[in-house]
Parts: sequence; structure tokens; C-alpha cells
Amino acid sequence: MGAYAKAKELGREAVLEKIDSLGICETGVYREKMTDHLKAAEEAAAKEGEELCLVAALNNADTDCVFLELVKKDPEKIIEGCAIAAIAAGTEKAALVLPEKEEELAASLREKAAPYGVEVRNEFINIRRNACNALIHLAACADLADAFNDCYVPGIYVSVNGGELQKLPEEKKISELADLSEAKAVQVGYRYFTAEECEASLGQLYPANGMIRVLTQKDCIVDDTQKKLHQSRTQSCGKCVFCREGLIQLEFMQTEITAGRGKGEFADLTKEIGEAMCYSTPCSMGQQCAGIALSAMGKFPDEYEAHIKKKSCPAGVCKAFIRIYVDPSDCTGCGDCLDVCPKNCIEGKPKYIHMIDEIDCDRCGKCVEACEEECIHITTGKVPKLPDRLTKVGKFKKKRH
Amino acid sequence: MAVITIDGVKLNVPDGANVLECALENGIYIPHLCHHKDLNPLGSCRMCVVEMEGQEGAVPSCTLKAEDGMVIRTKSEELKRLRMLALELLLAGHPEDCSTCPKYGNCELQMLIQYIGPKTGRLKMRVKGFKENSANPLIVHDMNRCVLCGRCVRACNELRGVKVLDYRKKGMETYVGTLHDKLLADADCRFCQACAEVCPTGTIRDKLASSEKKKEDYVLPCKAECPAHTEIPRYLRAVRDGDMDEAIAIIREKLPIPRILGYICTQACAKECKRNCLSDPMSIRLIKRYAADKDIEKKWRAKSKQLPDTGKKVCVVGAGPAGLTAAYYLRKQGHAVTIKEAMPTAGGTTAYGIPAYRLPRDIIAEEVKLIEEQGVQIECGTKVEKPAELLKDYDAVLMAVGGTVGVRLGMPGNDLPGVLLNADFLRNCALGKETGMGKHVIVLGGGNVAFDCARSAVRLGAESVHLACLEARDKMTADDEEIEQAQEEGIVVHPAQTFERITGEDHVTGVDFMKVKAFYFDENRRAVIEKEEGSELHIEGDTVIFATGQKPDLNEDSGFKLFRGAWIVVNDNTNDKQTSIPGIFAAGDCVYGTKSVVMAVQSGREAASQIDRYLGGDGDISEQLASGKTPDPWIGVIEGFAGEKAFQPQIDPAEERKDNFRLFDHGICDADICAEAGRCLQCDLRLQIHRPRTWGDYADTKEA
Repeated sequence: MGAYAKAKELGREAVLEKIDSLGICETGVYREKMTDHLKAAEEAAAKEGEELCLVAALNNADTDCVFLELVKKDPEKIIEGCAIAAIAAGTEKAALVLPEKEEELAASLREKAAPYGVEVRNEFINIRRNACNALIHLAACADLADAFNDCYVPGIYVSVNGGELQKLPEEKKISELADLSEAKAVQVGYRYFTAEECEASLGQLYPANGMIRVLTQKDCIVDDTQKKLHQSRTQSCGKCVFCREGLIQLEFMQTEITAGRGKGEFADLTKEIGEAMCYSTPCSMGQQCAGIALSAMGKFPDEYEAHIKKKSCPAGVCKAFIRIYVDPSDCTGCGDCLDVCPKNCIEGKPKYIHMIDEIDCDRCGKCVEACEEECIHITTGKVPKLPDRLTKVGKFKKKRH
Repeated sequence: MAVITIDGVKLNVPDGANVLECALENGIYIPHLCHHKDLNPLGSCRMCVVEMEGQEGAVPSCTLKAEDGMVIRTKSEELKRLRMLALELLLAGHPEDCSTCPKYGNCELQMLIQYIGPKTGRLKMRVKGFKENSANPLIVHDMNRCVLCGRCVRACNELRGVKVLDYRKKGMETYVGTLHDKLLADADCRFCQACAEVCPTGTIRDKLASSEKKKEDYVLPCKAECPAHTEIPRYLRAVRDGDMDEAIAIIREKLPIPRILGYICTQACAKECKRNCLSDPMSIRLIKRYAADKDIEKKWRAKSKQLPDTGKKVCVVGAGPAGLTAAYYLRKQGHAVTIKEAMPTAGGTTAYGIPAYRLPRDIIAEEVKLIEEQGVQIECGTKVEKPAELLKDYDAVLMAVGGTVGVRLGMPGNDLPGVLLNADFLRNCALGKETGMGKHVIVLGGGNVAFDCARSAVRLGAESVHLACLEARDKMTADDEEIEQAQEEGIVVHPAQTFERITGEDHVTGVDFMKVKAFYFDENRRAVIEKEEGSELHIEGDTVIFATGQKPDLNEDSGFKLFRGAWIVVNDNTNDKQTSIPGIFAAGDCVYGTKSVVMAVQSGREAASQIDRYLGGDGDISEQLASGKTPDPWIGVIEGFAGEKAFQPQIDPAEERKDNFRLFDHGICDADICAEAGRCLQCDLRLQIHRPRTWGDYADTKEA
């Protein structure tokens, strides 16, 4: 007998009892006892006199969507879990909501979901329109299905450095999950942590989006923060002032910093806006996404100081701080770099030392890859003396002496 | 009930009441933007944050529900900081060009800046880069100015149920628009303009909004244009709902002769109807006519006002629309009213000017009967020669003698035998008397009266009828349908012609015309006519009818101070209709010249009010005959609403109508009438929406 059939046979009270006895929690951002979570939703709906609907989805803030792996791997299980949750919530209306971009996945699930009375939709959860619905996380559906398949094991779902999603015990230390010897920072959930902080357990740092990702010396935290904020902005529905406008300001400041235009006051402004966002927005998007910027600027001041004051990117990622030049002593004047430059900013002709126009160069690095002589270099430091006019190969050094 | 404390003030409020509303209703101002009294709370702008005892941090008061014992503070340094931050974030995506914004001075965002303080300039400003969208009728969208408060979305979806507007996202910018950016009409917009009404900024704007007009006038142009300010959208809605008793009650609150008007009103209202911008204007007159025709039970009478007798006597001279109206209301104010009418029956212009094929005589008789039933005495066949003498027997007199004499233009041949005047011709026609008309008729004039003459001539058996006027076709004052129907009946219309001379030795043989090249008024407001060379036109005919204006049958012997020797001078056309003879008032066409029946009705109403006050009354002639129920703000979705065409009345073909004086326009049929009334945009619903409350309404609340 399937998990759903079992749950249906047991009836609502017994289902709730079982969920309670196993200690199953709502997962994702709003972690609390599942039975409390559902009860609160039921009360809210009753107060407004609205019919309750169970809605299983990812958190709005989740831009990485690693939990979708659960759906892709065993869709039936998630659907069943969703239907069981509906029984527990005391409603016959259940919906499985996938991110807007996952239309194909949703389409592939509809047929399977129909027998369970579960509707499958694609949308960004409108928290206000769902005020009277029981919202639960997709991963919680997996737990519920496991519970009634009698194979529930407590634990937290994580994907380490993009690896497979696995369920690990809460007590497991983060430092045991990944090699932190080269770590500059570790993204756990919606925040960055230092390697030292990762001595804490999974349960303590709790990756609500299932993400654990190690940033090494080759990664720039500012650049990473900017990219994460950009992803959030792309996903945000933009209805609330603090989420919409706050994200724009936060991303702008990170972009400015990566571009070498950072200002000292950005730290305070990020803190003021970021903290206000956490409690001035109704859904996880606004509440969580500022965490990336807050933790980056709060925990890695050196990284920011390097960008803002020293005008350098320690990882060599931020293009504003790197320079690309053709080593005049090794260049053979082959023209390979010239052909690939999208900006047409390399000057040269056969048998002449090629030169990069620094003003037009956007540091894309295509020329570096194209150069078979390996004589185009990227540096975060000083550039050696270069020819200031077209010079024949081999003639540059002589001239200088 | 719950007792809550806001800023130390204890308030008794209903359990679960909106805390922001509680504060605003009780004189405590909390800044707010996304909140609107008529819309569901959203809590997105965070401008209305407050502190609540027992809860950490600030909470928006608009989504806070009152519970007994709540203690709330609306002012603190922290709240000030948060509101400032919220405002700065809002302004980061809002253009900095208040002074060129059409909403300048009425913008709620601007008022918030005044209250909270100017931004610090520390945030990154951006231009959203949307183009202003003026492609829609009636409504402009300028999404650059949008602060995404979501009021319009809630108004459209939750208040109106029209569901046209929603949040959309283009690239990284969220904005408000229709699905796939369709035109509003294609998205089944109902053009109720609730969106423009609730928009706090200059983002969604009413194209007709004007600082020179009162809001009610540009929101409800139909009502504004109606001289009597009839509540048109209200009665159209009643007809839509099939409630004809309610409809006629609403109409009768302003018009005592609604059936007459239902047949012949020139409906200035329809010319300004906002539906003109979408498809066809509302058939306002025909809807009124339907409701008035169906008024068998006259339920409105139960609520009709009749004040006790005052013992005062009023004489009204002339039983036309102005006189009948004034008499009716004066009687209701408790005065004894006698109308003295020169003609054998009451009705004035409606009976002796407007031909029977447009207005059947039994309808006039019925309307007059209702007025007599109210207690008005009508003495027909009594011509008043010396009005001043009436004051011996009456406490007040109203002159409402209309314009009963046709104007003969000064031109060669204008007194030849065969030349007739409009007023005489139509009167004789109405009385069934010999008109003196021959076989070939030329009517001079381009107004409705000219067409009445021409079409009556056709019906009297004229073999040819020509109508010529000075105005170009599009400037002719006659209704389009009059002109079209006249042409169907074989009348030849010659617009833009000068009248050179009437030819003939001892009888009319025709008229010489020339084509008008240009016709305008110069800087001294004198008419200038430029003629086209070589455009001479001669039309042969044995009868010429002047339909170029009418004037009152008055001269200096009447004792009144007159304007241009005919029209009665009153102290003020609107507010003081007393003539140069104290105790004698004047109203209608004899004061301001030939206008419309509904204008005369309004003039009569004003006169009644003023005479009542003159006689010691309060001058309040208003009455509530309709239920006065509040209409449902939820109007829902109607597919293809914007493009809905007008339902046409049933009109007899020209061949059937041109040889008799029977009514040929049978109005809109039973099956179509509700649907026709349902086409109304219900612009009046917008006036139900509460106006925003800003800090200026709370005198001493400006934050230091």
C-alpha cells in the first residue's frame, strides 16, 4: 500500500499524531514543527472564513532550487507527500507549485498528480494571496511521504559544492562535509560563514535552501555577492518596496565595489537597508536575500577593504582591478589575439608586438586564451613597461637600452 | 469592541478593525501610501509603521488588526528613520521632476516628502525607462512615475472585479499593466477609472482631468452638461437592472416633464458622454424615454414633496416648459399657482413648435395633467397684455412667455407674399390651420426648428423642400439624426450658403444663394462671411420659411426693461431672475433666447426656488424620490465591453413616415433597453471612492 493510501486510511487525527511523534518539521526558511505549522494556517483560514488549501513549494528566496532534484528523482513521492500534508491540514485542496521557469517539469507531473487530487502550477508564491493557505516546503513533502512509507530518517537535505542532494544528520559538522583547507568563505543557506564558523553543525547553521558551497582564494566574495543579489532581483516579484528597491540598492553597491567605485559608507548603508529588509517584507525573498550582503560585508571586511581602499581584488576576479597586457619580449606578432578580441582594442600587424588599448579593453580574457605563445598576462599588480607605439618583434628591449 | 491606545489616546474600536484606519478616523495622522480606505490592506510601502507594546520592531499599522489592550506608538526616532528609509527607497525609482508632473500639488508622494522630509541623496537613483502610454482612450499610463503601491491593481481586481491591471515584470523592472501589454479596450477594461482615482502619483491619469473644472464635472461630463444636472449614470444603472420605478424616480428628482424630454431632448449629455471615446455614446434620451413611458404606477408620488399652503399666490405667464416647471415646484412649496396661457392648450413650444411626429400630443397632455394634479391651475386662451397689473392679484409673477415670434432676416424680398416665419408656420401646422405654404418650399436656417419646418412641409404635401443655411455641414446646430432623417425624406440640404435675395415680383419665385468660403467672427466678434466667387445658386420655390431664430412677443409697452427690444432683462440669468419690475420674475427663452426644453426646465426650477425665497420660503425645491441606495462598486468582467455599439431605436422608413404626422421613432425595444443602459461606464462610481487623507487634513501633526 502506498504512503498516501495508508495516510488516507488512518484519517487526519492519526496522521497528525504520527507526524508529531516522528518530530517532522516544516523545512526551508520557516522551520518549525509541522503540526504547529499546519495548525497556525488552519486558524488563520478559519479567522478569515476562507477555505484552506495546502500549497507545497520552494521558498520564494530560493534561487538555486537544489530541492527540485527531489521532484525530478521521485516525483510520485513528492506528490504523495503533498497529498498527505493536505490530509494533515484537513483540506482536500492541494497544489504543488514549482518556480515559474520550471514549466516543463510541471507539465510532466500533472498526469501523475491528478489521481492524488494535487494541482501542479508554476508561480512565484504571492504571500498575500496565500495568507489563508498552508504553505509547506517541497522537502517536507519528501519527509511526509517517507514517514508513511515507514522509512523516515530525521536529517537535513544538503548539496555540497553542487553535488548530489543528500540527507544528513543534524549533528554533522559542516567542516566534515567539505574540504575547508582552501576555504575563504562558505555559503551555508542564504549566508556566508567563515571557515571557523563551519565547525558548527548542520542544525546550527541550517542551510534552508540546501546549499553548502566553499569559496576559495580564487573566488571573490564581492563578485559572488553581487551575482547572488542579481539572481534574487531577477526572481523577486517586485511588489514590496523594501525587497524590490532594497535589492536594487544592495546590488548596486556590490557592483560599484567590484567596479572599483566602492565607497566607505556602503557598509553602513548595506547594513541599514539589509536589516530593514529582513523585517519589512512579508516573504522569504525579502527576508533572506539581504543576508548574503549582510554576512559578506559583516564577516569579510578585509575583502571589502581591499576592493574599496586598496583598489584590488584579492582573487583577481573583479575585472576593474586586473590588467591584461602583451609581454613585449615574448610576442611573435602572430595576430591570434587580434582576431578574437570582441572590442577590437588590440593593435598590431604581422611581426610587430601587439598592444592592448587599456581604455577599451573590458578584460574579457579571450586574448589570453587565444595566445599560443602564452605571452598575454593577467595581473592584479603592476604592468611592466610596454611599447607606446608599434614596434617590430625583438626590437623593444633594444630600444629601451 | 476593543479598547486600544494610540499615542496615549484611548479609542473604542471594533474588534479586528484596521489600526491605521482607527488612527486616521480619530484625528491621529500616520503617514501612508499603499493604504487606501476603500481597498484591502497590502502593507508593502511600510510608510505606516508603528510600534506596538509587547512586540519587537516596527509593524505596518494598515495590516494590524485591533485587539483589546493594544498600546501603539506612532512616533519615535526609530519609526522616523524607517519611514525615511522607506521613502528614500520609493524615490530611488521615481523621477525627480515634480514641477513638470501633471499631478503636481495633488500628489500623495509629494505630500509625504513634505511630511517626512527630503531624501538624503545617499541612494542610487534610476530611471525605469518606460514610455508614457497615451494609446488608450480616457486613461494615460506613465509607469516611470509608478511607485508600485498596488492601489490600482487592488481597485481593478478587488474593488471592481474587472481584473485588467496586474503587476508585470519586464526585464528587472516590475510595473503595472495589462496581460501582454494589450490595449485597455482589448483587455476588457470597463473604463471606470477607479485606477486613476486611487493612483497617488501621476502614473495613471484621467485624460479629461482639468484644474479648471470641478472634479465632479470632468468625472461626470453627462451630468455636468445637462442643464438640469440630471443624475444620468444613476438612472441608467436602474434601467440596466430593470428597475424602471427607481429610474423614473431619479429622473423626476430633476425633471418634472421627463416624458416630453424623453422624446425631444437635445441631449447635450450624450455629446459629452465618455463613451464617445470608445464606441457610440449612451442613448441617454431614449433610455429616459423608455423609463418615462413605463411609468404607469407612478410610485415616486409616494415620496413627492408637498409643503402646506402658504397662502401666497403666484401667477405664471406661459405654460411652456419653463412655466410648467416653475409652477409645479412653486405649488409643491405650498403656494397657490395659476398659469395663464395664451394658446388653447398648455405645452408652449413643445405643443406649438415641435411637430407631433416627434412628440405626440397625448404625451404633453399627460405631463400637464400631472402638474395640474399637483394643484396648479392652468387658464388657457388667456393672453396677458399688462403683466405689471397681475401684481394686484398675485404676490409674485413669473414671465415664461418663450420666443413665439419668428425673426425675418433683412434681405431683398423678405416680405413678398409666400414668405413665412418658422413660429407661425409651425403653430398653424400644430393647430391644423392653413399655413399659406405652396408646393415648393425653401427653408432658411440650420437648426432643429428649421428641420421641424422642412419636415412638416414634406408632411403637408410640399413637392420639393430645400433647406439652406450659413453654417457648414459639421457646424449645423441641428442634431445629426434630424439632418439624416430629413434627407431620407427627400429634403435637399444646402449648407454653407449666404442668402442673397428672395426673388419674385409679386410673389416668391425662389432664392439666390452664394457659397460661403469662410465664416468666422473677427476680433470685434462681428460675423465675417467670405463668399466664393462665381458660386451663385438659384433655387426656385414658391414658399420661403425663415427659420433663423425666434424672439419673445414683447415690446416696451410691457413695462419691462428689455434687451434688444424683445428679451426680458433680469438681475442675473442664474441666481436672480427678478425683472425690472419688483415681484415679477422671468425664466426660459424669453430671457436668454432660443435654447432647449431642458434648459427651460432648469430655468423654471431656478425661478421657482427664487420666487419661493422671495415669498418667504427656504427656496429648497429638492426632493428625494429614489431609494438613494449605494450602487455596487463591483462591476465585474464584460467581454468586449469597450467596443459595444449602441442599440438602435426602431424607426419607420421614410416612405411610411413622410406623409403623416404620426410618431415614427418607436424607441429602443424592451429586449434591448437593459443592455443599452448596461453600456454605461458608470463614471459616477468613481465619486464613491474616498479621497486620500494627507497630513494637511490633520492640522498640527507635522513632524518636527
